[in-house]
Amino acid sequence: MKVVLKDLLKDFKSAHAVAVNRINLEIKQGELAVLLGPSGCGKTTTLRMIAGLEQPDSGRIYIAERDITDLAPKDRRVAMVFQNFSMYPTMNVYDNIAFPLHAIKMDRNEIDRTVREVARLVNIDQLLERGLRQVSGGEAQRVALARAMVRRPEVFLMDEPLSNLDAKLRVQLRTEIKRLHQDTGATFIFVTHDQEEAMTLGDKIIVMNRGDIQQVGTPHQVFFTPRNAFVANFVGTPSMNMLPGSLRIEESGRMFVALPGFELELPRRFAAGLRMMTSHHVIWGIRPEAIKLVPAIGGNCVPGEVELVEALGSRDLMFVRAHDQLFGVIVDAQDSLPVGETCLLHFDGAHMHLFDAESELSLLHDEEAKGA
Amino acid sequence: MVVPVRERALSYAILTAMAILVLIPVLAGSLTAFKPQIIWISSPPVWFFEPTLENFEFVLITRQNWLHLRNSLIISIGSVVIALVLGVPAAYGFARFRFRGSKELMQWLISLRMIPPIVVGLPFYAMFLFLERATGLGLRDTHIGLILTYQTFLLPLVIWMMRGYFVELPAAMEESAMVEGYTRIGALWRVVLPVVWPGIVATALLNFIFAWNEFFLALILAGNNTSTLPMAAGTYIVRARVEWGNLFAVNLIIMIPVIVLTIFLRQQLVKGLTFGILE
Repeated sequence: MKVVLKDLLKDFKSAHAVAVNRINLEIKQGELAVLLGPSGCGKTTTLRMIAGLEQPDSGRIYIAERDITDLAPKDRRVAMVFQNFSMYPTMNVYDNIAFPLHAIKMDRNEIDRTVREVARLVNIDQLLERGLRQVSGGEAQRVALARAMVRRPEVFLMDEPLSNLDAKLRVQLRTEIKRLHQDTGATFIFVTHDQEEAMTLGDKIIVMNRGDIQQVGTPHQVFFTPRNAFVANFVGTPSMNMLPGSLRIEESGRMFVALPGFELELPRRFAAGLRMMTSHHVIWGIRPEAIKLVPAIGGNCVPGEVELVEALGSRDLMFVRAHDQLFGVIVDAQDSLPVGETCLLHFDGAHMHLFDAESELSLLHDEEAKGA
Repeated sequence: MVVPVRERALSYAILTAMAILVLIPVLAGSLTAFKPQIIWISSPPVWFFEPTLENFEFVLITRQNWLHLRNSLIISIGSVVIALVLGVPAAYGFARFRFRGSKELMQWLISLRMIPPIVVGLPFYAMFLFLERATGLGLRDTHIGLILTYQTFLLPLVIWMMRGYFVELPAAMEESAMVEGYTRIGALWRVVLPVVWPGIVATALLNFIFAWNEFFLALILAGNNTSTLPMAAGTYIVRARVEWGNLFAVNLIIMIPVIVLTIFLRQQLVKGLTFGILE
């Protein structure tokens, strides 16, 4: 079912800023959409408004063209999985899964059949008689998934369901949620602050900050063509190297960005974006993966010295100081240099990002970064 | 936690000594309840005698204290039921919703609990008298009058205790049930109440004990039709003497329900009173 949010506003009054600031969003039938952002960005509030657990101050919510803004949670035909709650403690696994079915007065035999079928789907059919104290955290969260599935809802809402699990289990359940999404064909809306989780799960990522939607796009779009400096900085680990700079354009049309201590030439593709610039002040950025070590000095090269090395497994994250600025550089482990070694950094124009210092919008935003 | 044997022996010895200290007067009194009148206050006290039920027969039948027992039961149980019916939903509301003045209201409730009964006893009497004259609605010397008066002390206790239990539970628990097809009330009934049940039992018991033991307000507001067991006990302390055997017979009748209830509900009580402390 298609989910549409129209001018949705929520202001808790007590906070400094509005929680959700008149957002508009369309999530297509069968899509797995991820609301991504730092804590307090409004992602959970948005999800709770879709579930009916918070009432918006203004705006409408539609599921499959039906206006559900004023309906009680129970009448919205959605299911929700929570971060800090998994199982009703006074019921065993079986009764937990059967609980939503009792609400619709399903007959006993059919409840039994449905419960066993759903339990098998999430691999807890061996645990049906167990209570909360006899299951692990991961198993309890599977019970929550089963309870969500049992009424075959068309929209699944997930509020950081994996955040309280340990790393290994998190990755495992992530895969299962993805499989569940494929098997059911339902619309999923998944809230997380973990951008890796968002990248691996999402068909569509909605990046939020301070109650506003910053960008809507595929994982590739938000990673490779961030619409503004916030998205560029928030998405990707380790985060993008960013420096303040100013633009210089020669008569010939060649463009340069003056950064603290050095200058780099910019590729032509930024030219079109100049129209929207309010001044010559920019924020320049490049991802750690895009910086290359080169043997001989050339264009857009800067000498530096390795200050710190973190092993990431097959690759190393080196922190290189060049012109008094610290750059994160990711290299294959066998190319890694020891601390104190000097090297040459090459910034490839094709991977550079440029944002207006005032609006923080990407200069590429008009052409490539519009998103889905 | 492993406690060394010597320390454990020591703590048991101290606890036993304290228990004996507390129990001796109770035991001596309870024995007196079974003594024939001639040895009630014999000196030195008689420890071995043929027990008799004549004191109980006298207080319950001759002096009709079974009526006081009935009054006490009606008033105590009625007070607890009403305090729970009103207080549990109120506590849930205070735990889950913030509204203008909610904090102040909670503080006001706890302040009610600190008022000595004498401060409200006479105003209540005056209020009842006024109400009777103005509307003809008589609350003096009625069960419901005392039950309502006791709410002044029971409701704050119910609301404060139960709010503590509700706050401990994640709101997502009933929110989950609400998304799964239940109303908030339905979620409260089917999901939240079963979890806080030991807390309700503990709260009910503490409230029952308060209402059961209450003397002063009953003295002011109860009359011939409603006087309670503690008041009946008072009648055996008369100007010239104390009717020890009869007094202790009534005392025993007062103590028994509390002791039986506490033993019977011991597990729920411990669970309720330690809610959220363990785990």
